[in-house]
This record gives sequence, structure tokens and C-alpha cells, in this order.
Amino acid sequence: MSPEISNQSLLFLIVFVIVPLTLSYFYQLGMNKSILWSSIRGTVQLFAIGYILTYLFDLPAQVGIPLMVGIMLIIATFHARQKGKELPYILPVIFLGLLTVEASVLTMWLVFDMVQFTPSEVIPMSGMVIGNSMVAMGLALERMKSEFQENNGRLLAALSLGAEPKQASHLIVKRTLNAALIPNVDRIKTIGLVQLPGMMTGLILGGVEPVMAIKYQLVISLSIFSSVSISAMIVTLAMYRYFFNEHKQLLESMEDIKKQSEH
Amino acid sequence: MFRFENVSQHPLKELNFKIGKNEKVILFGPSGAGKSTLLFLFNRLSDPEEGQIYFKDKPIGEYPITELRKKVGLLLQSPNLFPGTVLDNLKYGPSLFGEWEDKQAKQLLEYVQLPSSYVDREVDQLSGGEQQRVSLARTLANSPEVLLLDEPTSALDNRTAEEIEEVLEYLIHEHQLTMLMVTHNMKQAKRLGDRGIFLMDGAIQEDGKIPDMLDHPETEALSKFLEK
Repeated sequence: MSPEISNQSLLFLIVFVIVPLTLSYFYQLGMNKSILWSSIRGTVQLFAIGYILTYLFDLPAQVGIPLMVGIMLIIATFHARQKGKELPYILPVIFLGLLTVEASVLTMWLVFDMVQFTPSEVIPMSGMVIGNSMVAMGLALERMKSEFQENNGRLLAALSLGAEPKQASHLIVKRTLNAALIPNVDRIKTIGLVQLPGMMTGLILGGVEPVMAIKYQLVISLSIFSSVSISAMIVTLAMYRYFFNEHKQLLESMEDIKKQSEH
Repeated sequence: MFRFENVSQHPLKELNFKIGKNEKVILFGPSGAGKSTLLFLFNRLSDPEEGQIYFKDKPIGEYPITELRKKVGLLLQSPNLFPGTVLDNLKYGPSLFGEWEDKQAKQLLEYVQLPSSYVDREVDQLSGGEQQRVSLARTLANSPEVLLLDEPTSALDNRTAEEIEEVLEYLIHEHQLTMLMVTHNMKQAKRLGDRGIFLMDGAIQEDGKIPDMLDHPETEALSKFLEK
């Protein structure tokens, strides 16, 4: 049994948009425009991707998968870059990082026969891996920047005791990775208890047996867990060095880092 | 020990001076005069835009940076301890050079007048004054020849500040350390220093003996500063 929502039913979704709109109007949140815009944009984007996916699923796997995964990687790279624009080599580091993560996860799936090499399986699951990795990289970059700022005194103390930049940043790298992992550990711990994960819900709605849906969910949840860890590790380990100059001196501000990287 | 030749680093302009072995120098002056900037040049936490600094008659840039920083210890305004125990902090510097033995901890805590039982305490359980003592002991663990102090007591209450001063007074005389200290506290300057360098607008306005220069300032700028 496949679920079917008619277009007429879909129209009534407008009620769900009117609620926040009314809220914004009465409390003068000034968000009317952005609520409307994001709802329309989201709808158009989703329909567009629906048609694109239908098209891709009809292509042979060897063409459809690299095409869509490539596009996802590029969009994710530019998005994650926003959080570390000041840092040198940020674009290639993020791109290669995401590529490594996606390639290793995909290899695991295929080698151990968890996922079939068909667009309808690989593309949505890769999207989840790349999307979560993108967010993890952005968060790790942001976190690293704020840790560097907050721990300015400790870094100066470590350097003044004779530490190399790598040794001085150890604490920051540790904290950044910690922050990246904690929400994922928590999510895995409560999985299925607090909310049924999105993919599993989708499969169950699509008529798949709950136990089968759980198997898929496990594959994706643990794949995301590992991708997110690797992603955070890659950007953190690749980027901490640019907070110092070649004389093992801490760069004071993001402007200094930018200047340094332009040299 | 140190020689500055035409050293400029914003806001400092063309500084020329020498610092002899075992001198206890107080750097003071209004905010923004460049005191901390100057202090960081001694252990290359920053480098001058122009000019040359010599350490023991050799350009400071010719020493491996980590070796130089080991010889020229720095204590900042806040303790900036690393998370963990007192011992973790004390051994941080020497461990970087493979020189640490646990028995040193007792001696270091004695220097800063803390009981040796403190060695296994978590640093976040210590009071502000105790933390600053541990920070000082951590700097001393590297056996520096020069001690740079950047307002080491300004974050502490008066009584605790005096206790730290006492520890410092004992240490710099006992260990024959060359000391450079930034302070706003003129009583502290008199107690710990034997030479004063008065900085204002990025230049040395007056350089003389302590307490003479504080009791009888030669320039109008210094008299005005001391009146405040």
C-alpha cells in the first residue's frame, strides 16, 4: 500500500502557514515576509526536486548517482564554507573532506551489501550523509573559532611555556570534537524513544515492515554518526594551524588570519 | 641581557634601551601606552615591525622560538590554567622538553607557598589566588632566566595580591631572576622593582631607579601620571 495525498488535500496545508503568520502579525515579529517566502520557496524546491529525482531514478545508476552526488557535494561545500570564509584553503578542504566521507560510507554500504547501487537508494541516503556532514563541518568551524577566542589566554600561556602550535591547540581540538560528537551520541541514545527517525517514518508510511524500516534506519543513523565524526575531525585538524603564523605566534583576530592567508 | 635597537611595533615607536642581568624592571604608564605589547616582544609572542632585539648579544630571532620561550617565562593577568590537576599544569612546560620528574612538583609548590597535598587537586577547585600561584609555579617549572609579569595581581583582591607579591619578592631574589613586570600598582612597583620604565604614547618618557623616579619624577608627564 502506497500513501497517496491528493492535490486538493495538499492545498489545506496553507493552514499550517497561516498559524505562524498570524502569530507573527499579532506579536509584531516582523517575520511575515520571511514566513511566506520560506514556505513558497520550500514548496517549489521540494516539487522541483521531486521531478528531478523522478528523472534521475530513470537514468542508469552509473550516470544518475555520480551526477546527483556531485551536485550535492558542491552545494554542501559552498554552504559549509560560509562558517569559515576567513580561513585559507577552506573550499578544497571541505570539498575533499565531504568527498572522502561520502566515498568511504558508500564503499561500506556497497561492499557489505547494505544498500543497492540504484539511484533510488543511494541518492537519498547519500543526501543524508552529505547534509549531516556539511552541518557538522560548519559547526566544527564555528566552534573552533569561538574556542580560539575564549581560550586566548590559555593558548598564550601554552606557547609561552614552549609549546608548538599543535600542542597548544590540543585542548581546542579536543573540545571542538567533543562538541561535535555529543549531540550525536545523545541522538543515538534516545533514537526510537523520543521520536521515530525521519527515514524510518517514511519507510513505514510507504508500507515497509517496521523491522525492515529499522534496519535501514540503523544503517543510516550509524553511517551519519561516523560521517559526522570524520567530518568534524577533518576540518578541525586541517584548520587549527591557520590560527598561528610561521613564528608560532597566535593570530589575534579573524582579520589577521585573513591577512595572513592572502600573503 | 636584552638590547632593543630602534624597535617599533604599534603603538611603540623606535625604542632603544638595554636590560641587564638580574635587573627588576617595572613597566608602567597609562592604558594603551603599549606595555603589554612591549612585554610580548621579549619572548616572541609577537615580533616588532621594525628594529632589532638582542638577547644575550644575539638577535632574538636566532634562537629556536620554543627554546627562547622556555628561558623567558611569562605570567599573565589571569592564571589561564589548563583543565586537569595542579600536577598536569606544573609538568606541562618541562614535559614539552622531556625534562619532567614528578618529584619536582613538591619543590615548585613550596616556591609558591602551597602545601604539597595540592598536587592532585583539580584546578577548578582552587581559589583565584591559589590558581595564580599554580600559574606562577607552572612558569617556574621551566627554570626560566627571565620572568615576564603582565599585571600578575590585578585580577585579585588586595590581600591575595599582597600574598602573591610576597611570593614573587622571595622568588626573584632567591633565584636571581631578571624580571620585567607591567603593573598599575605603584606600591607594588616600589616593593618589587629596582628600575622603572615609564611608557606613554608608545615612547619611553622616563627611565630611572626605583624608588627615586617615583618620589622625584623628572618629567611633567610622570608627575601628572603619579598624581592620578
